[in-house]
Parts: sequence; C-alpha cells; structure tokens
Amino acid sequence: MKQIQMTQNPSFSLISTKKIIQMSNVWTSYDSKNFALEGINLSIDRGTNYAIIGQSGSGKSTLLKLMNGMMIPSKGTIKIDYTSPDMNNKKFKKMMHTIGYIPQNLGLVKNITVLENTLLGALPRLTKIQSLFKKFPEHEIQEAKRILKLVGLTGKENRKAYLLSGGEKRRVAIARALMQKPTILLADEVVSELDNVTAHDIMNLIADAQKRMNLTAIMVHHDMQLALEYANRVAVITKGQKILEIGVEGETIVDFQTGDMSTEEIMEMYDVNSKQ
Amino acid sequence: MMLTPNNNIIIGIIIALLVVASYNVDANPIEFAEGLPNLAIVVEEMLLVEPKYIPTALWAMLETIQMAFIGTIIGFVIALPLSLLSARNLNSKYVYAPVRALLAAIRTFPSILWAILFVIMVGSGPFAGVLAIIMYTIGFVAKLQYEVIETIDSDPMDAVGSIGVSKWQLIRYVVIPESASHLLSQLLYMFDYNIRQSSILGLVGAGGIGFYIINYITFFEYGKVVVFMLVVLVTVLIIDWFSVKIRDKYIIKSQHGMEVTAK
Repeated sequence: MKQIQMTQNPSFSLISTKKIIQMSNVWTSYDSKNFALEGINLSIDRGTNYAIIGQSGSGKSTLLKLMNGMMIPSKGTIKIDYTSPDMNNKKFKKMMHTIGYIPQNLGLVKNITVLENTLLGALPRLTKIQSLFKKFPEHEIQEAKRILKLVGLTGKENRKAYLLSGGEKRRVAIARALMQKPTILLADEVVSELDNVTAHDIMNLIADAQKRMNLTAIMVHHDMQLALEYANRVAVITKGQKILEIGVEGETIVDFQTGDMSTEEIMEMYDVNSKQ
Repeated sequence: MMLTPNNNIIIGIIIALLVVASYNVDANPIEFAEGLPNLAIVVEEMLLVEPKYIPTALWAMLETIQMAFIGTIIGFVIALPLSLLSARNLNSKYVYAPVRALLAAIRTFPSILWAILFVIMVGSGPFAGVLAIIMYTIGFVAKLQYEVIETIDSDPMDAVGSIGVSKWQLIRYVVIPESASHLLSQLLYMFDYNIRQSSILGLVGAGGIGFYIINYITFFEYGKVVVFMLVVLVTVLIIDWFSVKIRDKYIIKSQHGMEVTAK
C-alpha cells in the first residue's frame, strides 16, 4: 500500500453541511470540437478545503473559471451558493465580490506597491468618487496592513510588486484575495514552482486563514501528497473527467466517488491515470 | 542569410524594383554629382556664422518648445480616453472600430498639413502650430497606446475582473498602472518628436523657429540659418539627454522588473 506521509494536521472541520458549490453534468469547451470538461459532477460543502489535482491540460483551471463566472458551461448546471455563476446575473455579480481568485500567474499589478495590490480586493466597497481619486478609507488601509501582517509581509507594504520574490508574490495574491473578505477562495496552483518549505508555509497560511474566516478553499494542485495533507476532499481530474474523489480519514484514504475502492486501489488508479 | 537559389531570385527582384523605382522618380547619380558644387557654396556661406542672432534664435526655440509642450500634453490627454475606447480587449467591435477609423483619419494628415489647415482657420502664428501638434499627437499616440493596452498581461485583468469590479475600476487600477511605463515612454518620445516637428511647422507660417529658418533661407542668408539650426540641434540633444535619464529612472526598471540606479 502506498503510504501517504502526513506532515501537517490542519484539523479542518466542516462548519456546515450546506452546499456552497454544486455542479451537475457540466460540459465545457474552448472550441466547438473538443471538450475541456466532460460531465463533471461536484458537490462542495461550505467551509471545506477542497483540492483538485490532475496533469497539465486536464481541465483543472477551467473548473475554477466556471466557479467564478469567468467561463460558462456548454451544458449542465452550476450553482454557487444556489446562484448561477453568470456575470449578467446581478446577484452573482455581487457575489463575485467575495469570491477570491488567485490565477496561476497570480495576477499582480507589477507597477504598484504591495499595499496597493492588496487594496484591490476592497475595490467593490469603494464609492465612485473614492474610486476615481484612488482614495481608500482609512479603515480599509488598516485592514490591508493587518492582512499583510498575517501573511508575513509587514515592512514590505511600499515595495513594488515586481521587486518581490516568488513566495512573496504569492503572499500578496493571497492578501488581495483575503482583502475581499471572501466566502470562497479559488487558487490555481498557488504553490507550484516553490520549494517544499515555502510551499508548506503558503499552504499553512491559507489553512490558517480558512479556519479564521470560515471560508471554502478550492485549490488546484499538481501534487497529490500536498493535496491530501491539507484538503478534506481531493478530486482527481484526467482528460476533463473526474475519475476520483477521495479524502483522508485517519490513516486511510477513502473513496468518496464510488465508495468501494481501497486505498491501494485508489493510488493504483491515480498512478495509472497520472502517467497517461 | 544563405545565398540559396530562392534568395538570389528575391535579391534580384529587389534590385530590379530599385532600378525601376529610381527611373520613375528621376533619380540620377550624375545630376547629383553635378549639383555638389552648389552644396559647397551653401556650406561656405553657412560658415559665415552670425552669432548676434543667437538671442533671437533662443527666443524662437523657447517658443517652439512651448508649442511642443502644450501640443504634446493636450494631445496626450485627449489620446488616452480614445485609446481606451480603441482597445479590443476592453470594448466590443461596435465601440473600437469607429474610434479606430477616426484615429486613422486623423493620422492620414501629416502635421504640416494640419498646420496649413489651422493657419487657414486661425491665421498664422504659433497657435496654429500648437493645434497642428495636438491633432498629430492624438492620432499617433492613441494608436501607440491602444497597441500597448492590448498587449498588457491578461492575468491581472482576470484576477481583478473576477472580483466583479466595474470596467472603469479595471481601467483605473489595472490597465493604466500596467501600461504606465510604456505611456510615459511614449510621452517622452512624442515630446522629442514634436520639438523637431515644431521646428518645421514655421515653414507654413505656424510659428516657432522654423518661421525664421524658412525666411532666412528664402533670402539666402545662410549665416543666420546655421545659427538657428545649431540651436535646434543643441536643444534636441539636451532633451534627448533628459529623456534617457527619465527612461533609466522610471521606465527601464519597471519594464524589466529590476532596480536601476539613475546615473
């Protein structure tokens, strides 16, 4: 049996069983011929730390973009907190204010400071006049500084984003998302290309923020071990299809997809698919 | 480039086109050689520099710089919203297509033609020159700006756009900061360019130092012409030096993600 080494015990708890994300038979494509996702079914509880793993091009990032309304499905239904993720839907547009999204390349504005990048998360709360004159209220500035302290960037508030290291840039992207006071955090390979120690620092940071703010974190990873260390549930995506949905209970890996696979069978299936 | 048979054919075609085009524009090397003594006469007369015209030339240059400064700043400010409306990544084709057509129409006229038009409208003098520079700057800078805006990194746009902010906020907080270093670079380039343009707009009566140059050339007073031309040259060199310093300090480091200390 393949051993999963648990180096952290974040002890996540499901605060509520209320479904925050539901996907039913979702298909989507970038062109008319090939589907990026095929018949995805997902149900994510509020407060869960949910991981999506798979190889490059498997459809992981597309799945996140469907959750924040940046893409719409070709068919099937998606509900985010019982609302369709459609940018033309006023209710969802308001909901977007509290869906933090960290794209794979982080999406920092490189010519502005760490503090200014963090404050971008507060933009929906500004009035038009404040927005025009770039006048953030003092309490928002204090909140941004508090979050920057939380992510370990105190003293670097006035540094331009392009001068930061890879780990620091990730912390700024997390700070910007936390500044939104999010209920959902979507992070696309936020720890890829980082060394093991920094990757764990960033993951601990998100796990800590998740507990403090009771948010639902949905994170895309390459690494199964990292996903199992931190997530309540892990969905494995291969070629646009969800082939596994698993979680860790004590020392065993539980199959939540079919309910009848052993840890050994799950890992064998993951290994076979990840090599394809 | 390797001299393959195909390449030889291409080179042959280019040479043939050069010969045909030269014939069509009456380009005649013999005529050029025969005209060289005339140049020598002009140069000889230019060497009779008349330094007492330096103060006049400096005042005329100051007027030229002011024309270029006003024209560049106002043109740039008008160009910015037009470029935002012309960017394909920010607007639908029903918005960007007509605005681009308008900008193309503005660019169709070179600044000297705008100057003639404004001299007819408001009379000769520097004001006509300023208006000409504004129009030229709008057409030219707006195109450069929308090309920059269309190439900015889409990740910050996606990340901030996904928060559900307004398009105005996206422009104010992402598009402009992301393209700021390029916009500053274009502003400096345009000011530099407009100084040179302002120097020739006087040829059609639109003020500036060119007005003096064309008058002295008309009366074959080359000793005075050279004073005014040297003032233009020195001014352009000084502005170029300042541009390099500003680029080093504010542009290069932000474009390349590194710290550069201004020398």
